[in-house]
Amino acid sequence: MRIVIGEDEALLRRGLAHVLEHAGHDVVGTAADGTELLRHTEERGPDLVITDIRMPPTHTDEGLVAALSIHRDHPEVAIVVLSQHVQRRAAVELLDVRPTRIGYLLKQRIADIETFCDDLERVRAGGTVLDPEIVELMLNRARRDDRALGRLTARQLEVLTLMAEGRTNAAIARALTITEKAVVGHASHIYDQLGLAPDGDDHRRVLAVLRYLRR
Amino acid sequence: MDGPARGRAPLRAALALVGVLVVVLGFLEVALALDAPDTAWSAAAFVVVGVLYAGCGLVAWSRRPSNRMGLLIVLGGVAIMAAALASTADPVLVALGTVVATLPFASVVHLVHAFPSGRLRSVPSRVLVVACYLVSLVLQVPLWAFSAAPPPGDLLLVADRPDLAALGAAVQSAAGASVLLATAVLLAGRLRRATPAQRRVLVPLYAYGVLAVPLLPVLAVVVGPLTGMSLEVVGLLQLIVVAGVPVAFTLAVLRGGFARTAELEELGAWLAADEVGRPELTAALARTLGDDTVQLVFRVHGSGDHADHVDAEGRPVVVPPVGHGRAAAEVELAGRPVGAVLYNALVADPDDVRSAAQVVAIAVDHERLTAELRASRTALDESRARIVAAGDRERRRIAQDLHDGLQVRLVVLAMEAQMVAGEAGACPAVAEAASGLRRGIDEAAAELRALVHAVMPAALVQRGLAAATEDLVDRVALPVHLESSVVDGVLPAVVESTAYFVVAEALANALKHADATRLCVRLVADVDELTVEVRDDGVGGVVLGAGTGLRGLADRVDAAGGALHVESPPGGGTRIRAVLPCAS
Repeated sequence: MRIVIGEDEALLRRGLAHVLEHAGHDVVGTAADGTELLRHTEERGPDLVITDIRMPPTHTDEGLVAALSIHRDHPEVAIVVLSQHVQRRAAVELLDVRPTRIGYLLKQRIADIETFCDDLERVRAGGTVLDPEIVELMLNRARRDDRALGRLTARQLEVLTLMAEGRTNAAIARALTITEKAVVGHASHIYDQLGLAPDGDDHRRVLAVLRYLRR
Repeated sequence: MDGPARGRAPLRAALALVGVLVVVLGFLEVALALDAPDTAWSAAAFVVVGVLYAGCGLVAWSRRPSNRMGLLIVLGGVAIMAAALASTADPVLVALGTVVATLPFASVVHLVHAFPSGRLRSVPSRVLVVACYLVSLVLQVPLWAFSAAPPPGDLLLVADRPDLAALGAAVQSAAGASVLLATAVLLAGRLRRATPAQRRVLVPLYAYGVLAVPLLPVLAVVVGPLTGMSLEVVGLLQLIVVAGVPVAFTLAVLRGGFARTAELEELGAWLAADEVGRPELTAALARTLGDDTVQLVFRVHGSGDHADHVDAEGRPVVVPPVGHGRAAAEVELAGRPVGAVLYNALVADPDDVRSAAQVVAIAVDHERLTAELRASRTALDESRARIVAAGDRERRRIAQDLHDGLQVRLVVLAMEAQMVAGEAGACPAVAEAASGLRRGIDEAAAELRALVHAVMPAALVQRGLAAATEDLVDRVALPVHLESSVVDGVLPAVVESTAYFVVAEALANALKHADATRLCVRLVADVDELTVEVRDDGVGGVVLGAGTGLRGLADRVDAAGGALHVESPPGGGTRIRAVLPCAS
């Protein structure tokens, strides 16, 4: 896919470009600040934009502002936002614009190249990818006030967490080293407990779970 | 100054006694004068005026104990009563009355010279007053020694020589007129040097005093015969003129602001009794010295031996300031100069000022030290605030350096390790080792993330207090109710970070020690202050300064000009509240 990278650290920018090209993608532009990122997105029509939150000139949240703007104005462009430290508020802001074609990950996740590339593909395909740390924050927060979540078993919570991160049944089965059939069984029980309508579609399932966690 | 009534009672009692004595003597004198019916009425009138003098003098004396005008006025009254003895029938008393017949004139001249302090402060004044007494007593001698009078007035007769008596009278009149003239010249000079405000008080008194003395004989010798007034009327006029003198002087003394108005001892007692501030101290000195222009200056340590003085507001003052009759009395404490009293040399007596300066020395030094302490306290506060701000900047810099340097390196290193693992043709063992290496680097990166977060959280730098607190609360395992009216990007950075660390430390404490089930965090931003509050429903018993993180937190809040409050009754939960000024 055609990718634009927004990252002000040259070392990381080059490394990321290298990894992506190695994985068979086409890096059509790299930007070192928010303005440049917007311009490249306009001019080069990428399928996916990957951007750091913190960028010059203020080194605060220029990348997030640019990402929100692209996410709003270019629904056809998928976005993956990277950050050294994930915040629930940033996730909520991104999901509020549109909960599809969006990803929010810790920067360190790049290193697990295979998983990272899988995540990019899922976002590109219209999916939602959230960093496990964010999902954990949301789940913890929800569990503090929600009895239904408290009734889930540890295994069911694991499955729910992976579902919220945007994983497919196959990926969940792989991660927990159980069968896909077992995953479907857990998922069905979770639906029952939380009062969600069963849905075979992975994308819609993520949205339902996230909606539930954000209540 | 409302304190110095104490210590006055014995003086009042003594003065009252003197008053009673004067009245008794007056009655006695009138009784004696009844033996000589012809002159009894005039004796009685003189006694009344004498008592009036004594009364006025005693009032002035008791109200302004340190001002000698009261004493002089009382003595004037005694002189008048003594002169009236000439109207009695007893030869000895008549002789006494004759000897002091013109003493009341001298008293009035003395009063005029001594006004307003009651003391004769210049050599010419002293010379003139002494001359005046000589004129009234010594030059009076020929009048009684050489003029024959019918008994009982002839006790002192030396020889019946009307010519010598007339000569003596002429000499006395001339000498008396000279003294009065010199007095008028001297007082005119004093008026010239006085300030306009002082002149308004001095002019009428000086004029009245100087004119009253010659007016008495003039009334009798010139005005009476010219207008054909009866002797009784002339006598009445004379008495009215004489009676006006003590009233006028007493009123002038009592008006204050001019004459010294309180005893030094009283000043000392007042100083000991009250917490004295600088304005009150200056006002007390002004009242004590009778000089409205008194100014206290404090000695500060200048560079080298060039010590200098500053006024109450800390402005440099030249000691003594030039012109307008200003003078300075140094205030010393244990031989060490601590300040100076600046005063009007024409109004206040230098000895008095020096005495007063000794009395107030400790208070002046206290004020000086307080001023120095205030100055150094301000400097300390400012330096603490600077240290905290510098610490904050340093935390931000460290966080940014780690973020830009080490964190990026760890991502890149982990990426490279993973690429080695995924390299086509790598043997499975190498691939596995490289993957393990990548996971190890990821773990190190996670630790580094936690460290950077503790140093200066990204949310605080990137967004602000509200976002950072929300992020903090998100990561707490217990239910937390967050209430915030803070708008990010408005508060000063130091206030935001101080508030953040209060919340972070308080939450950490609650989670570690409180055994709480619920927590509540409140951030309330007002126009000029930010209130941060963390409450839990735990075991309580938290003590500030028990070597916990709270002590450091309190110091930090204090350095930011705020205050940290801890309420933690045993078993009653804990409430930690910081109020931070945030006017920026």
